[in-house]
Amino acid sequence: MLAALVPAAIGPEDEALRAEVRAFLAERLAGVPGARRARTWMGFDADFSRDLAARGWVGLTLPVEFGGGGRSAFARFVLIEELLAAGAPVAAHWIAERQSAPLLLRYGTEAQRRDIVPRICRGEAFFCIGMSEPNSGSDLASVRTRAERTATGWRLNGSKIWTTYGHKAHYMVALVRTSGGPDDRQAGLSQLLIDLKTPGVTARPIRDLAGDEHFSEVFFEDVDLPGDALIGQEGQGWSQTNAELAFERSGPERLYSSTVLIDAWMDFIRSRGGPTESEAELAGRMLARLATLRNMSLAVTGQLARGESPVVEASMVKDLGASFEQSIPALVTDHLASVDGPVPAPLLATLDYLAGMSPTFSLRGGTREILRGIIARGLGLR
Amino acid sequence: MPEDLFLDPWRRLLDGLGVDPWPELVGSGFLDLLRPEAESGAGLDLVGLFPLAFEVGRRPRAPRVLPTILARLEDPQALECPDAEPVLAAGGKDPAVVRALCAAVDAAQMAGAIDALQAMTVDYASTRRQFGREISKFQAIQHQIAVMAEEVMAARMAAEIAMAGAPLSVSLQAAAVAKMRCGEAALACAGIAHAVHGAIGVSAEHDLHHLTGALHRLRLAHGGEAYWARKLGAWALSRSEDAATLARSL
Repeated sequence: MLAALVPAAIGPEDEALRAEVRAFLAERLAGVPGARRARTWMGFDADFSRDLAARGWVGLTLPVEFGGGGRSAFARFVLIEELLAAGAPVAAHWIAERQSAPLLLRYGTEAQRRDIVPRICRGEAFFCIGMSEPNSGSDLASVRTRAERTATGWRLNGSKIWTTYGHKAHYMVALVRTSGGPDDRQAGLSQLLIDLKTPGVTARPIRDLAGDEHFSEVFFEDVDLPGDALIGQEGQGWSQTNAELAFERSGPERLYSSTVLIDAWMDFIRSRGGPTESEAELAGRMLARLATLRNMSLAVTGQLARGESPVVEASMVKDLGASFEQSIPALVTDHLASVDGPVPAPLLATLDYLAGMSPTFSLRGGTREILRGIIARGLGLR
Repeated sequence: MPEDLFLDPWRRLLDGLGVDPWPELVGSGFLDLLRPEAESGAGLDLVGLFPLAFEVGRRPRAPRVLPTILARLEDPQALECPDAEPVLAAGGKDPAVVRALCAAVDAAQMAGAIDALQAMTVDYASTRRQFGREISKFQAIQHQIAVMAEEVMAARMAAEIAMAGAPLSVSLQAAAVAKMRCGEAALACAGIAHAVHGAIGVSAEHDLHHLTGALHRLRLAHGGEAYWARKLGAWALSRSEDAATLARSL
């Protein structure tokens, strides 16, 4: 059995950040349509990321000596929930800030920590994560991209696919095989830091169903990397990657992907006068689920702040959160299809985007099936 | 912490109750938990009551003691009370406020019952063998129980938060979140628990139906999911804030 989540509250010092962030976003995002905002952490805008960094809002929890803000995990929770709820385009710096900088601080060389982490905090170094390959998706341990030792470091061959903004990032942290073969599974996998300007690296975007180019395919052809490209220990790539995924899975980005649509729908209902019973009921059901998920996500943030590693709890919040986010387009569609009279075009455009892309919510960061397997293991069933 | 003070004796009392539990409950003093200390009660607040209500919910055959504990806020002599709502409302309290309190305490018991359902289901799946192995080894079963675990966490969180607002009252919005979310979780978890248990789960002697039966009864009491969702949604739509801001205030 798992221990119950302990409710956590955000202290006044961290809560004070909220007004400042909201004021900035109200000005910076004025006039951005809902369908654009619905992209949130899939929306890439390097200028926006640098503007956030100029305010100290990239790397908020990272140590001051590396250019971070030295603030608490709850301060970051306030910041990112405001960014996500408003639908700010945060993709450019998102992965670098959330997981690559903490990874480098933990395992990187002193030179990497001094050189790259401050640039991440300035919004100048963007990262992507090289996990999936053409024949390795959920079965991540089957990756075939391979690095061989050379006299000066590593020579890399292979490819990655579905890499978020691989064609725009400056660096990739890739999970690759450094010894053994596919039958060795998790053994023999390592994490490599790849400067994507290195000769032999090519990246091409893949267009998604909404017409965006948010993911890509990245090819490595005899790419020579220095010896310090190895992150952490050789052969420990699997456990390092899983520790990283706990960061990725626990945050509020698993709750707020569809709030832009909820807001547009509620504004539409408000504009029509008093809500019907069924409209009030739908609003209430969505809000009760959202409020509960937020309190769960906050409790997991509390665990991270206490130095715990809530791998199972984070998987539970992500699975439940993704199911919630995914349910919103259908619920809103059901209601709008029952309404006589015109529906505002911007609301329909937001709905259209999320109806198309919401299946990805239970794929990215670990599929529903992978997460439920992790939870079952946490319950002692496997 | 009042929880530490009361929780273990409360568990021992519940586990030791005989066929006629009420004299023992009266003698224990626990029925006056919420009454002021000046009137020989324990002066407990809702934060302290939550784990005790949760423990009642966890026990398939526990007596329905919470309505009496609540009713004694108004009537010190209340005993074997089937429903605190009319007793508290007769004392002149705002009926909407009374209902919110009763619903939140229902939710706390539901969260406990769901928690016990999950434990019972994990235990059964880990011992029942079919096709030559424990049924917990089948992925189809594992994934259903994983969903249960998520609902257990959500239900408990919603109920616990609702009881943390004020010493002896619950806001309408917080009660709505708790009763709505626990009702949804109850429905999902009761279905999965029965599916995993198979036919034995509907036999009279098995404890499962005492838990799922309590959940069905509590879903009906003091407003169900639709009732509370309408209250919450009407409130939300009467305001101008965005969904994230509204959710944060709950």
